[in-house]
Amino acid sequence: MSTPATDFNEREFVICQISRLVDDKYIYWVGGGGEPMNSVLLAKRMGAPNLQYLTEDGCVGPEARVPFDPLMTMIASPANYRALQWGTMNYAADLAQLGYVDYGVLATLQVDRYGNINSTVVGKYEGGEGRRFGGPGGADSIAALAWRTILVTDQQKRKFVERVDFISSPGFLDGPGARERHGLPPGTGPWRVYTPWAMYGYGADCQLMIQAIAPFVTLEQVLAEMSFKPAIAPKLEILEVPTEEELMILRTQIDVGGQVTDRGRWIEFKDGKYTFAAR
Amino acid sequence: MRILEEGKADYLKVDPDGYRACVRDNKPHQMVSKMMTHKEAVERFVRDGDYLAYDSNYFQRGPSSLIREIIRQRKKNLWLCGKFTYVAVALLVESGCADRVDIGFIGFGPWISRAVREKKCTIYEYSNAVMTLRLKAGAMGIPFIPTRSFGGTDGYQHSGCKTVEDPFTGKPVLLLPALNPDVSIIHVHQADEFGNARVFGTGIAHAECALASKRVILSAEEIIDTEEIRRDPARTSIAHFTVDAVVHAPFGAYPGTVQGYYASDPMGVIEAMGAMFRGDFTEYLKKHVYSVATHDEYLSKVVGTEKLAEIRRRETIREGYVS
Repeated sequence: MSTPATDFNEREFVICQISRLVDDKYIYWVGGGGEPMNSVLLAKRMGAPNLQYLTEDGCVGPEARVPFDPLMTMIASPANYRALQWGTMNYAADLAQLGYVDYGVLATLQVDRYGNINSTVVGKYEGGEGRRFGGPGGADSIAALAWRTILVTDQQKRKFVERVDFISSPGFLDGPGARERHGLPPGTGPWRVYTPWAMYGYGADCQLMIQAIAPFVTLEQVLAEMSFKPAIAPKLEILEVPTEEELMILRTQIDVGGQVTDRGRWIEFKDGKYTFAAR
Repeated sequence: MRILEEGKADYLKVDPDGYRACVRDNKPHQMVSKMMTHKEAVERFVRDGDYLAYDSNYFQRGPSSLIREIIRQRKKNLWLCGKFTYVAVALLVESGCADRVDIGFIGFGPWISRAVREKKCTIYEYSNAVMTLRLKAGAMGIPFIPTRSFGGTDGYQHSGCKTVEDPFTGKPVLLLPALNPDVSIIHVHQADEFGNARVFGTGIAHAECALASKRVILSAEEIIDTEEIRRDPARTSIAHFTVDAVVHAPFGAYPGTVQGYYASDPMGVIEAMGAMFRGDFTEYLKKHVYSVATHDEYLSKVVGTEKLAEIRRRETIREGYVS
């Protein structure tokens, strides 16, 4: 069952990457739905059955009944099924402020060199000129207060920018010490960024560093989809593809309707290597 | 305390003494019945220019029927607490009811940039939990509350927050202005006629909203006896003296879910989201708000008994919700 898959899409690939990081030794705060929630739901069905995660509505450690109806990733009973505790938003924020949240998992529209997060506006903020999005939601609390934050976004030039158009939720702001100067708790901050093509960490200078790439792209392809040149880890790793088991669970139990995964390009194993499928 | 930095935006005036006086003079300290219709509750307790908070949202145990009634009555110049919400802010702005929004998270779409460009709506930036913390401060009767989040963001610049040197630790700390809305609307599972109410499952800030707001309208799926409240007081989420109106609203969160009672209607959710993403609510408002006079008429004529039975049937989880 742990056979490497030969046919999957970018979205499934990135969900499996994050899912494998998740460990039931830690407490996670999962932002919204999408890839973050799918990653955690998958982990709970794979190697981390006792995984505890927290959602913004103060739900602690649910054993969610999937699949969800559209948008019903919080408050609704299937999302909050068999939880350990039901609270409210201030309770979730208190837990993070106290230091209980080891990892936050978030999706973002745009990220910059310092891991700052934009979910507010693309383009100019003033006067409604840019394209407006939803705002930080719960991501600000997660990004400010979780010990480590895992971000997921797409590998696109317009999403990896030198400076985000608007800092909705804090990364390292403008470098070492900036978070503390703005009143955020010490020892917290960005930890990883995942895209369907690459995994990034941060150097001592608080700036993004490519640590691994997917087997179906080259480093040049990844760099071409960034608006700035990041540091590159001395030993670049190759990310492992999803297994048949992960995909089966994801497709048949979690994202049955393809709400999250039915986007992105397909990858196939052909002539001894992984490549984008022609379809 | 030394102020290190300040947000530059307008915010609802902070006045804890004024709020205490309002509690003394206007809150119903005596147990009196507050049962009334949607129409009467909104006519009496939602006023043009009010700061309006609603708990949760149009899709998840939110006061959807009361939001539709506010639109039907064409209230004006509301200032919204836009935390943890999808379409409600869009509906209230696009219908001409609201012109200011404190944003934690809202459902977006072309309507919002257009409303800002045309100066139909002014936006102030916060985050979801920053807004619920502001309500918590409002619910404690204090003027502000410190937090260790939100610092360093661009949202901060467009907020009413301040950063000071903490007099105890000497480190920078953010202060959020307390929020005491003029009116809150909250949808609950059960309430008695006086407004003692139960919310089952998770929530956003229903208890804080009730305590922090000058006027409070509850809509309830079920009206229960006070004897039932007294049988299990630990389940009381909201006490009667914070409440001004109790409206019986079965399926009040439609097209959203009420945990343990009914599931959401995915097609109803998609219809509202679709209008929002297209940036045109004309048809939606006509069909779901203006075509009917009451919530009962909405359920029977627009939604239909078959749909209601279906969403009731699809909610199969009872654990933790039903007393």
